[in-house]
Amino acid sequence: MAPASRQHTKALSELAKRHGLLLVFVLVVVAMLLAKPTFGTYQNIVNVLQQNAVIGIIACGMTFAIILGGFDLSVGSVTALASVVGATLMIDVPTFGIPLGIAGAFASCLLVGAVNGWLIAYAGVNPFVATLGTMTVVRGLIYVATNASPRFGVPYSFTSVGLGYIGGIPVPAIIFAIVAVTLGFVLHKTRFGHYVYAVGGNVVAAAGMGINAFRIRFAVYVLVSACAALSGIILIGQTASATPQAALGYELTAIAAVIVGGASLGGGRGRMIGTIIGVFLLGVVANALNLFGVSAFWQPVATGLILIFAVAADGFSKRGTFVLGK
Amino acid sequence: MTEVLLRADRINKRFGAVVALNDVSLELMAGEVTGLVGDNGAGKSTLVKMFSGVLRPDNGTIRFDGENVDFASPAAARGRGIETVYQDLALVGSMAVWANVYLGRELLTGPAFLNVLDKRRMISNARDMLERFVARVPPVDEPVESLSGGQRQIVAIARAGAWGSKLIIMDEPTAALGVAETRAVEEVIHGLRDRGLTVLVISHNLDQVFRITDRIWVLRRGEVIGSRETGNTRPEEIVAMITGAVPADRLG
Repeated sequence: MAPASRQHTKALSELAKRHGLLLVFVLVVVAMLLAKPTFGTYQNIVNVLQQNAVIGIIACGMTFAIILGGFDLSVGSVTALASVVGATLMIDVPTFGIPLGIAGAFASCLLVGAVNGWLIAYAGVNPFVATLGTMTVVRGLIYVATNASPRFGVPYSFTSVGLGYIGGIPVPAIIFAIVAVTLGFVLHKTRFGHYVYAVGGNVVAAAGMGINAFRIRFAVYVLVSACAALSGIILIGQTASATPQAALGYELTAIAAVIVGGASLGGGRGRMIGTIIGVFLLGVVANALNLFGVSAFWQPVATGLILIFAVAADGFSKRGTFVLGK
Repeated sequence: MTEVLLRADRINKRFGAVVALNDVSLELMAGEVTGLVGDNGAGKSTLVKMFSGVLRPDNGTIRFDGENVDFASPAAARGRGIETVYQDLALVGSMAVWANVYLGRELLTGPAFLNVLDKRRMISNARDMLERFVARVPPVDEPVESLSGGQRQIVAIARAGAWGSKLIIMDEPTAALGVAETRAVEEVIHGLRDRGLTVLVISHNLDQVFRITDRIWVLRRGEVIGSRETGNTRPEEIVAMITGAVPADRLG
């Protein structure tokens, strides 16, 4: 290959590497707009926003955990916990039930986050084991406390949180946008976010320069649980009830969205904008399957394939760079 | 230039039954590059770990910059102006050069409670800081992992020099580098000395020790064999001291 053309190829591959995800997303959207006129309608766009807000909020928190070099499997259980604790208080407490429910949901979830954080940061338990443990324990406790039956009768006014609109935009999507912008700011502009990258990239170097890696890890797992709590509260608003089986498997969808968004499970890499595109790429593909009348059972198949494709494409672009000590 | 910056006096260190250092006394002159040589297991790394706060002597005193010091941690040593550049490179590969230069010392802007990074100022300052020691400054907004091994080592050394430290300790700074990169790192070490910093280098490479040091101390089996001014000795003499072909100097 001539040097000029090789440079050209290199620039192209660099472009694809940087903006490949966005490119794929735009291609999928354009293809859908051409193939299905209903895809671009207001009602359908609102649907996509509505359906992906809950998982999106969790994915924003998960981005921190993955950049830190870990992940959190307990988010689905924690989302259900927020939902059950919040709904129960809203149903059983006559006055101030709603603020109490929100407070209770956050308090219980932050406790789980603190347990995760303590286990991973201070007790040195592997994130997979720690959060698999809390995921199982929390889900089990929810079943015990509710006898595995749903709680109905949340004040109808609370559905404005899950089903309401402000200026034509679903409230959950607005909450998702606020969370994404806030956490994007924290991750990319503040010292805390900077230290998440440092600890995830090389904990020895970070600690050697005086960064308290324990505190960063602890704080991140509390943050992930806080995001899950918010999602659980929105779930209450979407159904005016709480189901103990809520949010099953959300942890894997959230992790998939973050990884599709370009973050690396090895830590130190990832961006909030990537996570948001990842969430909507998975969401739009699910929506497309739906619009084409494909059975919903195919949706996890599509999610899994996109995940594998995204990681394989990334790995392929770095092939041949096995270096000792990397 | 003859002022003593660091004086170790009769340092002893045992690990169980193993005597790692036996009554080791040594001086580092301010503004000089000192080489510390000796065979494997001579106690070089153990000794410098006392200076960088990683280990504490069982007994003996360390006097640094006019005061007796007893470092409880590497942070304590760093607080007094002793920076150590580790062989395994304490840089975060996925982060930019400027972020590594400022790691743990970030500049902030805006309201205090937000802790917003002042990236623009750190990027421009990092370039200036590296320029003080390095002729060809690596691109400061590129991730460290995109640099060559030599450039990374230069960033690590320049970072140590940039933060107003008095003594910079390096354990085999060029062990994994090629010839050209080794020379570039050596130039940076000279740059540190030209700026008045004191440098302590552990190296197995005697050619290098003779190229970059002002003074050489020799350890053998946990004991000081002696020191020589680099200009007044020859590699053969140093080798003889390392291997034990000549007896230890009598030091006061």
